[in-house]
Amino acid sequence: MFVCEDNYDVIVIGGGHAGCEAALAAAKLGAKTLLLTQSLDTIAQMSCNPSIGGIAKGQIVREIDALGGAMGRVTDHAALHYHMLNTGKGPAVHSPRVQCDKKVYQFTFKHFLELQPNLDIMQDEAVKISVSDRAVDGVLTLRNTFYHAKTVILTTGTFLAGTIHIGTEMFRGGRYNDMPSDGLAKNLRDDLKLNILRFKTGTPMRINARGLDYSKFRLQPSDNPLQPISHFTNAKEQSKRTFLSCYITRTTLETDKILRENFQRSAMYSGHIHGLGPRYCPSVEDKIKKFPEVTSHPLFLEPEGFNTEEYYIQGFSTSMPEDVQRALIKSVPGMENASITRPGYAIEYDFSDPRDLFPSLESKRIPGLFMAGQINGTTGYEEAGGQGLMAGINAALKVQGKEPFVLRRDEAYIGVLIDDLINKGVNEPYRMFTSRAEYRILLRNDNADLRLMPYAFKLGMLDEKYKAPFEKYQALCQKLIEKPALSADEDETELFPWTAEKARTHADIYHKYAGYYERNKKDAEKLAEMDSIKIPEGFDPSAVRGLLFESAQKLASVKPQTLGQAGRIPGVTPADLQLLAVHIERFRRLKNAKAAR
Amino acid sequence: MQHTICALATGAGGAVALVRLSGPEVRRIVSELIRRPAALEPRKQTLCSIYDGKEVLDKALITYFQAPHSFTGEDVAEFAVHASPYIKGRLLELLCEHGAVAAKRGEFSQRAFLNGKMDLVEAQGLCDLIASGNKAAHKLAMDSLDGKLSARLEEIKKRLSELLAQIEVRLDDVDEEMTPLSDKFVEDEINGVLGHIKALADTFSVGKYIKDGLKTAIVGAPNSGKSSLLNALVGFDRAIVSDRSGTTRDTVEETLEINGQKIILTDTAGIREHALDPAEKEGMRRSHRAMEAADLILFVLDAFRSLTPEEKELWQDICRQNKRTIIVWNKTDLSAQCPLLEEAEKYPSVAVSCKTGEGLERLKKLITADVTEAQTADGLMISNLRHYEALLRAQTELESVLIRLESNAGGEIYAEHLRRALTHLQDLIGEVTPDDVLGIIFSKFCMGK
Repeated sequence: MFVCEDNYDVIVIGGGHAGCEAALAAAKLGAKTLLLTQSLDTIAQMSCNPSIGGIAKGQIVREIDALGGAMGRVTDHAALHYHMLNTGKGPAVHSPRVQCDKKVYQFTFKHFLELQPNLDIMQDEAVKISVSDRAVDGVLTLRNTFYHAKTVILTTGTFLAGTIHIGTEMFRGGRYNDMPSDGLAKNLRDDLKLNILRFKTGTPMRINARGLDYSKFRLQPSDNPLQPISHFTNAKEQSKRTFLSCYITRTTLETDKILRENFQRSAMYSGHIHGLGPRYCPSVEDKIKKFPEVTSHPLFLEPEGFNTEEYYIQGFSTSMPEDVQRALIKSVPGMENASITRPGYAIEYDFSDPRDLFPSLESKRIPGLFMAGQINGTTGYEEAGGQGLMAGINAALKVQGKEPFVLRRDEAYIGVLIDDLINKGVNEPYRMFTSRAEYRILLRNDNADLRLMPYAFKLGMLDEKYKAPFEKYQALCQKLIEKPALSADEDETELFPWTAEKARTHADIYHKYAGYYERNKKDAEKLAEMDSIKIPEGFDPSAVRGLLFESAQKLASVKPQTLGQAGRIPGVTPADLQLLAVHIERFRRLKNAKAAR
Repeated sequence: MQHTICALATGAGGAVALVRLSGPEVRRIVSELIRRPAALEPRKQTLCSIYDGKEVLDKALITYFQAPHSFTGEDVAEFAVHASPYIKGRLLELLCEHGAVAAKRGEFSQRAFLNGKMDLVEAQGLCDLIASGNKAAHKLAMDSLDGKLSARLEEIKKRLSELLAQIEVRLDDVDEEMTPLSDKFVEDEINGVLGHIKALADTFSVGKYIKDGLKTAIVGAPNSGKSSLLNALVGFDRAIVSDRSGTTRDTVEETLEINGQKIILTDTAGIREHALDPAEKEGMRRSHRAMEAADLILFVLDAFRSLTPEEKELWQDICRQNKRTIIVWNKTDLSAQCPLLEEAEKYPSVAVSCKTGEGLERLKKLITADVTEAQTADGLMISNLRHYEALLRAQTELESVLIRLESNAGGEIYAEHLRRALTHLQDLIGEVTPDDVLGIIFSKFCMGK
């Protein structure tokens, strides 16, 4: 065994969307960081669709960007098609989505990582997390190298004990063509005794565009003018680039017939898959089964890159055998002569119950162990990136002996995401929806900067050079909100990357939602008040008489840190909270009395 | 910021009732109720008219205590009003209409404790008080509802959550695959639910029992002493307001007043007459109907013999009603042992001698306990008032949707109001989580990539 002489503050295991953000954030905050990944060539790989953003997800990308994460900037760099979703509806549900060149995306991200001071990258597979004195102290790899670490962030994606299904064919893999992480899976399950559960997800086939009949598709051109997804991208410069179109087609009765005839051969329906899959991302066989009355489903053709003819077919996720997949393709107008380059498949993988996490994403069971992304039961690049960023920040803060950075539900979708995970747990892969956010009207893609950049500057996650323009922009927004009649012909020097027009838009949206803004803010204040009541260390909720039995059990397992968090655990009643409030105060007084003696 | 809370501070009986209000908005609420800018002086009593619309509800002595020099440590106002059940009930409703929230069990004391106005020893009693409410709260609320009401609640829950799902699914439908919801559809759904909510609010309104009386069904076999019980209650009280035969010759209704509360007693006579045809069990059906309409059931049994099969069956029917029920053991000698009755421990029971009048006072107390049962050290009619308030708030939210529809405000705005309405109704219909709404969406619509 080679014991590496470097002592790392933070080791990130996994180089996907969560791991990359985590590594960058930790290093940015000054933590000596190591990113361990099976393969450097698949860093930040878009394993499913070649796009970033979407409903609610786009808001998360904006938040990651405002907090100094890389996802937004990398996306703009790799963009091949922009589409602002829902522009016909209210601004609270406008969401950016950007199609990316897959290869450009992952290599840009890799380059970002390479350029980041304090960050080492190593191609090796973690097989064991070393724990001593009940806290993390290092990582052992497949090459038998040991790295010392004060904290470890697990971002294992679909790799933990991954199993791939295509029809009734079944083989081991963490992603098509990649090895599963079996050593680490065993370590987490057997040695660390994490509460491991299993989920399933899937991806559609990719096709070669040669031979496509575009006349049968509906064209969806890239937005013009476009809106970059990163706050720091120059929209004018970005507009000068070349973009590609996407295409829309539909399944036919023939598609329907093929699927019906082959239900029994699908991995899902033949009983091979035991993990739970997401309801909102059904395979095409699922759609036919559950909605027999819908005879045609839309399909979106998304280019996988500038320098390839491969298309990703959104809506055609399937775990049918290869021969059925070939027949399915031929049944779709315009795709009769296309050929499959990679079949769609389903994958099962291990994840760990997120209720075992603190709001900082640190494990309650093993101090120093953080988790982000699919290992927490989520799905989606954006959800993973958001958690990765927070885990990276919090691991660094822990090493520096600082308080964790936690976002509230009224501050960010990232706050909603983590709060939901740790309090409610998951029973299917968790995807963000705007309807999960009770403060949807406050959490918009257009105000992510105003919501979160003040934190980012304070933490040191953003370049100081943006501070002056940001504060100027903040002041301008405030001015326009107070005096809507004011003309916005503002001096724009030193405002870049912000513009007076953006401030004007912000003020208009504020006025559109005025009454709702105030009401939501008031609710949020109450929430913050509840969250400010800390459940003190040593306080044992199970000793509180009169709690409902189920509530006491849930409180004992979730171990909330504040009264507010206790209230968000499903099933905890207002009377339970009253009792907790009184007992916390009682506990505090008794402790003070003891101290005085 | 804390809510401003209100509750009745005195028990039933007495000439004066004390209603307490505590929290940051005390001054505003008081000045709105008395229609005067609040010239409240701390620790001074002021005689003021309390307005209910155009009418004066009552003249009240109001005492104001300024934070932190009050029982709770917050701004507090105490209203001394006439102890009519209607006046105190309506005053609490008015306070809620002006933004106060009905206090939870023990909430005044809880605030006092958290603000350092109460010591640790006193706090123990407070915890017991809160805990006693915990288990009872939901069940009590549900038990007091008859079948029709719970069907209404189910309907409200279903329609509101499905409407929300319909709106949410369109907010997520970026490809505009779905036909937009017509304003007419949303309007009709909202109006449908509003109809239910208003009807419910009427039944929950505290004034309801006082105005309409508490419907009490006396059921039992003819030889169990039902009639003598009726006579004893009516006769001893000598407070008959009216005396008329029921619309059918099988039911007798008597209206009387017990402990200041109007009670409508329904005696379901004639089980035996029709029991000749056991297949029809007409008598059983009749008492069943009477029980369905009742707020309270008195099950009368002869303590000197074991239960007949008919009585056993009747008892099962009573249990299924899920209503406030009192078991009345009719006997001349109160020391005798009563026969066994399954699950009797779930309901209050009382032994009564109609001849001597023994046990009658206790029975009367149990009958009017509807008001006094929910009474705690600092709250009256908690479940009813809190439900009434919840319905009122939900109603406001739904009416907002109708208003916002006119300006075509958009799905995210309607959804916001609907979600708030559902949150307000939570104690009545159970929680509807975002995940529940997503569940409806995924089961009804083919969504996702």
